[in-house]
Order: sequence, then structure tokens, then C-alpha cells
Amino acid sequence: MRRFRLSMRVRHYLEGYGFVSLWIIGFFLFMAVPLGRSLYFSFHKLTMSQHGLVATYVGGDHYRAAFVTDVHFLPLLRDTMVTMLTNVPLILVFSMFSALLLNRRAVGRILFRGIFFLPVIIASGAVLRKLLELGAGQLPIFRDYDLFNLLRRFIPGQVLLPLLEFADSLTLVMWDAGVQTLIFLAGLQTISPQLYEAARCDGATAWESFWKITFPMILPMVFVNVLYSLVNSFTKTDNRVMDHILNVVFRNNDFGYGSAIGWMYFLLIAVVLGLVFALFRKSLANVEGRGGA
Amino acid sequence: MNALQTAWRQALETAQKTGRRAVRMAQTTGRRAAEAAKTTGRHAVVKRAKRLASAAFHYLVLLSLSYVFLFPLFYMLSKSMMQTWDVADATVQWIPKKLDFANYAAAFRALNYWQGFANSVIEAVGSGLLQMVSCAIVGYGFARYRFPGHGLFLSLVVFTFLVPPQSIVVPLFIFFSDLGWIDTHLPFMVPSLFGHGLKGALFVLIFIQFFRRMPGVLEEAARIDGAGALRTFWAIMFPLARPAMLVVFLFSFVWHWNDIFEPSLYLRVPTYYNLAQRMAVFFGDANLAMQQMAMQTSADVIGVAPTTMNQMMAAMVLTVLPILLVYLVLQRYFVESVERTGIAGE
Repeated sequence: MRRFRLSMRVRHYLEGYGFVSLWIIGFFLFMAVPLGRSLYFSFHKLTMSQHGLVATYVGGDHYRAAFVTDVHFLPLLRDTMVTMLTNVPLILVFSMFSALLLNRRAVGRILFRGIFFLPVIIASGAVLRKLLELGAGQLPIFRDYDLFNLLRRFIPGQVLLPLLEFADSLTLVMWDAGVQTLIFLAGLQTISPQLYEAARCDGATAWESFWKITFPMILPMVFVNVLYSLVNSFTKTDNRVMDHILNVVFRNNDFGYGSAIGWMYFLLIAVVLGLVFALFRKSLANVEGRGGA
Repeated sequence: MNALQTAWRQALETAQKTGRRAVRMAQTTGRRAAEAAKTTGRHAVVKRAKRLASAAFHYLVLLSLSYVFLFPLFYMLSKSMMQTWDVADATVQWIPKKLDFANYAAAFRALNYWQGFANSVIEAVGSGLLQMVSCAIVGYGFARYRFPGHGLFLSLVVFTFLVPPQSIVVPLFIFFSDLGWIDTHLPFMVPSLFGHGLKGALFVLIFIQFFRRMPGVLEEAARIDGAGALRTFWAIMFPLARPAMLVVFLFSFVWHWNDIFEPSLYLRVPTYYNLAQRMAVFFGDANLAMQQMAMQTSADVIGVAPTTMNQMMAAMVLTVLPILLVYLVLQRYFVESVERTGIAGE
């Protein structure tokens, strides 16, 4: 039997495809085809009949309806954008802060890390949402111990109450920041301590070495975290747009309209992510330039 | 002679002067040195105090943040143990008067716990293991091979990560129901088998990062010894990927366990509900019952409604308990693994 011989390069290609093909098949089955079909659905009206789903072309009606007829869609979209704009920066700052805290050498570091990553375990889903509904998200420290009345003496109620609400939403932010803290921490560990040593020899303060060493070194992780937080805040289970789409699809059985608003939502996300990419491409390129010079 | 004498005296005087000056100088330097020693001593004390203060501050911040993270847990535990009398009793803040698991018994029955537990385990462990293996294979392919279309496919991975699941949920649902997979665990398993499913693209990216950092020497050695591509991967690289696998498995396990979005689409018969779904249903029922009670009577509400709330807390504890236990066991390895995985990218 003569063996079929391939050149080294072709064999290398084939082996590579062999490993990756699994994912590519999956991509067509579970991503590309559904995405295409949902685009198709969004221009059609789907009705159930005995032959299954029947699609009739309606053009851009669904897209128009989202802006004209649907009273929920636009307000929900606006709310989502507002929460995203306020929460993502807060999450980033907080996760950076706690990663810096955890990165410091101290007794009981392992224990504290275990506690700080608890949100990763519990917060990702229905449990946290229910907990918050039942009032566990509000820290009692503001309400117990008469702190509230004490504060009221100095701060007028109209200012204090929103402040307290903000503090409560801050706990939510902290609970959302688990994975981001993890990523920052892993990033901090890759920075060589020699850099800090050299900076200290040159008389840099901790503040300066943070902005001149830590921050530039961790900028790629900031990018990763911005992406992750954005995607997460758009696709979280307690995102109200997501609820709305589910309701449209599975309560009203309006597959076409559901696909249309799903697509619009996706396009909006794509625009936001595109902006982030553009923003970071410049600053990431800057960092690389600085390193090369 | 006279001139010589004066010269001598002058020389003597200068000598004396320099000597005196030398002595004086020695004295001052000594004094200065002593002073300097004293100040450095004081400096060290200040420094140590500063370090102590910063450490104390550090721990203060750590502890107060830990409080934020632990509070809901303790709240949940404490409330789930409270009975009617504890709720009515103003002196009971955290610790109930009597150890009583009545809430747990009620929640256990309402959730139909073992059935839900079995569903959750099948779903979370099954998909977790499948995702772990398939994403490792795919990640290895992307990290170690360069082939035409490499960049394109890699950007498709990122793209998949960015697409919100709700924009493709309709066709997927129709697809799975055409296949007759509704009310089975297949809609979770099969995408996981192909490296997709819940956040599959993220896991592929984690494995790519991990394998990129591995030295290539091991593979070369295996290749020279005559191992094929598959064997090299399976016998050498796959076992070495343990830290990344741990991270991926834990994430996948936990996210599947807590997920309520996809299960509520594909599992529509209550027997197939996982724990998170059951909890949501129980909550819905309990809320409804509370509202009705509030409408009917006002006297009973004070006694009954809080207990329903406490039963809900018990249900929550029961739902979270398994993953908490898994986390407690794996926590140490998990945190270490994250550091070694290079999850952060480059």
C-alpha cells in the first residue's frame, strides 16, 4: 500500500483545522445560521399553521413598530444605556481598587481573595436578584444604629436619600465586579517588581509609580474589562430589554417582532463596542509606541 | 635669628591652630554623627508607625469590603432559620432563639429538591465538562497552529462572545424544537460539545491565552519521539492545562447552575426544571400568596407573611449551597490557577 504523502505545511494546516473544525461547525450551527435566520425573521411575519411556521414578508414594519407602536422598547433601551454608562466606570474603578488591595502582601490574603470572589460564584444569576428584592442588598449600617438620623442633622433629607440609594446601588456594583477584579489581579501579577524597585530608587512616590507603571502596564486589562463589563451589562439576566424580548417572543408569540428588536439591540451594542475599540486602539498603540521608544 | 624665631613661632601657632581645628572638627563631626544617628532612629520609628498605620488601614478596607460581600450570605442564613416568633420578637436581630429547620423542610418540599438537584447537576456538570474539553481542543488549535483563515476565525470567536444571546434566541428555539430537543438536556450539552453554549467563546479565549504561554519544547520532543498531533495534545498538553481547565470548569459549572434564561426557554415541563428555575417559581408562588393574604386578612399577615419570606430564604440557601461547597473546596486552587492561566490576556 502506498502511503498518501502530504507536504509538511499542508499537514500543519490540516492538523490545525482538525482542532478548530469542532468550533467552526458549532459556529455555523449555533451562531451563523440562527443569526441569519433571525435577520430573515425580522423582516417577516410568522404565523403558526399546521405546516409549521409560515413567513410572510412585511418589509421594515417591525423596525418601524419598535419606534412607533411599542411603548416599552425605547424607554427600556434608554434605561439600559443609562445603567451601563453609570455602572461600567464604577465597576472598573472598584475592581481595580480591590485588585490592588488583594495584590498587596498581607496575612490572610488567601482568605480575603476567597471572600472577594464570592460574587463570581453567587452573583451570576437569579439568586442575587431575589436577594436584592428581599432587601439583602441594602446595607443595614445606614439604617440601623441611628446613623440615618445622625446624618440627617447635617445633610438635608432631599440630598441624603438619593445618596443612600446611590450607596445601595454601589453594593450592586461591587457584586458585579468579581470577574473584573480577577482579571485585574491576574494582570497585576504579571508586572515585574523590578520596575517598582527602579522607580523607588529614582525617588518616585507610590502615587507616581501607580500612574507611570501600574496603569500603563494594566491598560490592556482595562480594555478587556471594559469589553467584558459592557457585554455583561447588556446580556445580564436582569437586563430589562432582555426580559422585554422574551416576553414579546414567548408570551405574545411574536417571533418576527422579537427578532427585529433583538437585532436592533445587537446593532446598538455593536456601535458601543465599536466606539470602545476605537478609543482603546489609540491608547493601546500609544503604550506600545512608548515601550518601543 | 629673630626672623627664625618668629618663623618657628608662627609655624608652631599654625600647627596648634590646625590641631585645635582638627580636634574641633572631629568633635563636631562626632556630634553631628550622633545627631544623625538619633534622627535616623527617629526616622525609623516614624517609618514603622507609618507602615503600621497603612497596614491597619489596609485591613480596615479589606474587612469592610468583606462585610459587603459576606453580608447577603449571613443575612440569608440568619433569615432562613427564623420562625414566626423570631420575626415577631424585636430582640432577635441575627440569631434565632431556637434551632429549627421548619423553613428548610417547607422549602425542600416546595422545590422538590432532589429532582431539581439532579437536573442542575446533569446540566451544570455535564455542560461544564464538555465545554472544558471542547474549548481546550479548540483553544489549542488556535494557539499552536497557523493556517489560512486563522485571523478570520479568531475574530469570529470574539464576535461570538459579543453577540447577545437574546438576538438569536428565536431561531435557536425553533431549531431545537424542530429537532425535538425541547424538555431534554440536549440544548445545553450539544452546543457545549462544539465549544459553544453559555459563554463558550470566552472559554476558548482563556484556553488560547493559556496554551500560547506554554513552552513549545515539550511538543517538539513529543513530535520527535513520533507522537502524532492528537497524541501530542492528548498526552502532553491537555494534562498540563489543568489550571486553565479548573478555571473554565468552575466558571462554566457556576454559570450553568445559576442560569435561568436558557433553561426557562428549553425546559418547559416542571419535572425538568433545575434548581434556579424552581426557586424562581417558588418565589413567584410565594409572592402571590403573600399578596392574596394581604388582601384577605390583615391580622394574619404579620405572622404568616414573614415566614413565607423566610422559607424563600431557605430555598435560596438550598439552591446556592452546592456551588458554595464546590467553591470552598476548589477556592484555593481556583485563585492560584487564575494567576497562572493568564486569563488577563497580554
